[in-house]
Amino acid sequence: MKADVFVVGDQLVTPLGIGSATNFVQLLDGRTAIKPVADTQLSGHRIHAARIDEQAWLNKISRPQRFTRLEQLFILSLQAMIDEYRIPLDRSTLVLLSTTKGNVALLHRASTAFPPARVHLPVMADELQGYFGFENRFVTISNACISGALAISVARQLLRHHDGYQQAVVIGGDEISRFIVSGFDAFQALADEPCRPFDRDRKGLNLGEAIAGVYLSKTPARDAVRIMGVGSYNDANHISGPSRTGEGLYRSIAEAMREAGAPPLDFISAHGTATRYNDEMESIALQRCGLSAVPVHSLKGYYGHTLGASGLLETVLGIHSLKNNRLIPSKGFMHQGTSQALNIITADHGDTVKTGKQPDAPAQPLRTFLKTASGFGGCNIATVFQKA
Amino acid sequence: MDRHPYFIQSYCIIRNHTIAINGHPYLAVEHTAPLHDFLRAAYRQLGIDYPKFYKMDGLCKAIFIAVELMARASGPFENDTALVFSNYSSSHLSDSKHAQDISDEANPVASPATFVYTLPNIAMGEISIRHQLHSENVFFIFDSYLPEFLVPYSHAMLDDGKASSIISGWTEVTAKRCDVFLYHVGQAGHIPCTVEHMKRLYQGQERK
Repeated sequence: MKADVFVVGDQLVTPLGIGSATNFVQLLDGRTAIKPVADTQLSGHRIHAARIDEQAWLNKISRPQRFTRLEQLFILSLQAMIDEYRIPLDRSTLVLLSTTKGNVALLHRASTAFPPARVHLPVMADELQGYFGFENRFVTISNACISGALAISVARQLLRHHDGYQQAVVIGGDEISRFIVSGFDAFQALADEPCRPFDRDRKGLNLGEAIAGVYLSKTPARDAVRIMGVGSYNDANHISGPSRTGEGLYRSIAEAMREAGAPPLDFISAHGTATRYNDEMESIALQRCGLSAVPVHSLKGYYGHTLGASGLLETVLGIHSLKNNRLIPSKGFMHQGTSQALNIITADHGDTVKTGKQPDAPAQPLRTFLKTASGFGGCNIATVFQKA
Repeated sequence: MDRHPYFIQSYCIIRNHTIAINGHPYLAVEHTAPLHDFLRAAYRQLGIDYPKFYKMDGLCKAIFIAVELMARASGPFENDTALVFSNYSSSHLSDSKHAQDISDEANPVASPATFVYTLPNIAMGEISIRHQLHSENVFFIFDSYLPEFLVPYSHAMLDDGKASSIISGWTEVTAKRCDVFLYHVGQAGHIPCTVEHMKRLYQGQERK
């Protein structure tokens, strides 16, 4: 029998604030971080995006000039986790760093104080490791938009198979840059308004930035959440478009649920980027899994698509949802907009566990949720979390 | 400690403008030839018709060729064959190209065809499509080839029954250098999949 792995702590740095509890409250208040942004550094035209304000963390870390903007955000987040959870820096602690594009913004900046090698992820990882003095080198994962969610699964496997590792920090983050904006623009994937995941009139995604982390342990602490099952499968269909049948996501969810022992789900935290094809694909995969009636949300309407951080960000908020027994409404949703109807959590039902399908159901504690993510390259992942 | 009965079913090295499959030379071209020409020559020698190859970036092309040769040696792969790849510079080849495209003074335009390759795991997507693998993909970024991590990681995946076999290894491709070492690990084969063996194979010191 392999050791169970628990989420015993978490941390968020987002445009809505520093700290995961702070962020959770903001979501229940219906606040969104998505705003019109007119910044010629990012794009020649106005976009809608969710950016972290520089003032939020300035002067909070030592020698900031030695680190890139993204590294400073990682440091801020890691420092908060280490302090709050008294995380040992010795060999018993594994650190997984997940990012889709890391310091890529350095590539197109005309002048930068950093050497060219700083764009490479191992260099960034070593800088962060050195800042805190972790004994283990970081394990870095770059797997498109499932990076963060996948890093949780990888950390779990490493903890289970190595007696020497007792706990793991899994941290993920990405920032908005001209590099990213121009690329998504070229794909015509950006909405010129706040995004509307799963809505009939959705026009595309907004980009966002966040640093999100979870602290995993083989020892359950108070309020721990157990990782019950994981599935991750490629679509084997297209490198930049989701499968029409949702094959990879369907297999991922089926495997995660099988490993978890098919528990009843209280809600699903979907990927829900608000692009036409992604959301449609997810509705098909959920229908194929027989999960269309489970309350579901996408948090992209609050934070936009935070790329490699998104899976971690949304996992952390899902965990807070469990702990507070409150469902988070899916911001931006008005009308069913996928071929397979979904039970989208709306603001009307957000402050109780009621949803559109059971308006009179009594409030009851939330226990289990499913987190899914999908990305370019046809990758998908599904993870089941349950209160320990 | 390596106590698991897993073996190398095939392996491919692409390095210094040469390609070897299971230790046997497959192709060698002039060292001065551009990477692009070298990979195209390899593709032509494969004698297959797969037009998508021409759209791929250098990283994907090199990986495509290595996996194609491995499929001939130890394939066809089961559809739950997992992919556990790693390199140092992620998708730097395409990242640089995209950064150049958007910084062009006369015509700063991003190309979707380039942007899609600015993710290292796209190569695993290409392989999954080509060989119809519905499986777990993970792309790690390390300083250098790290069998001390990859070998136990693969064994754990196989132990957990999450895959019947795994294609794993090091896939570092830059404008100047191609260093690809991929291997197919599973139950069959003669070379034990241990850290020591994988180090020696990577250095080209062991033959099948």
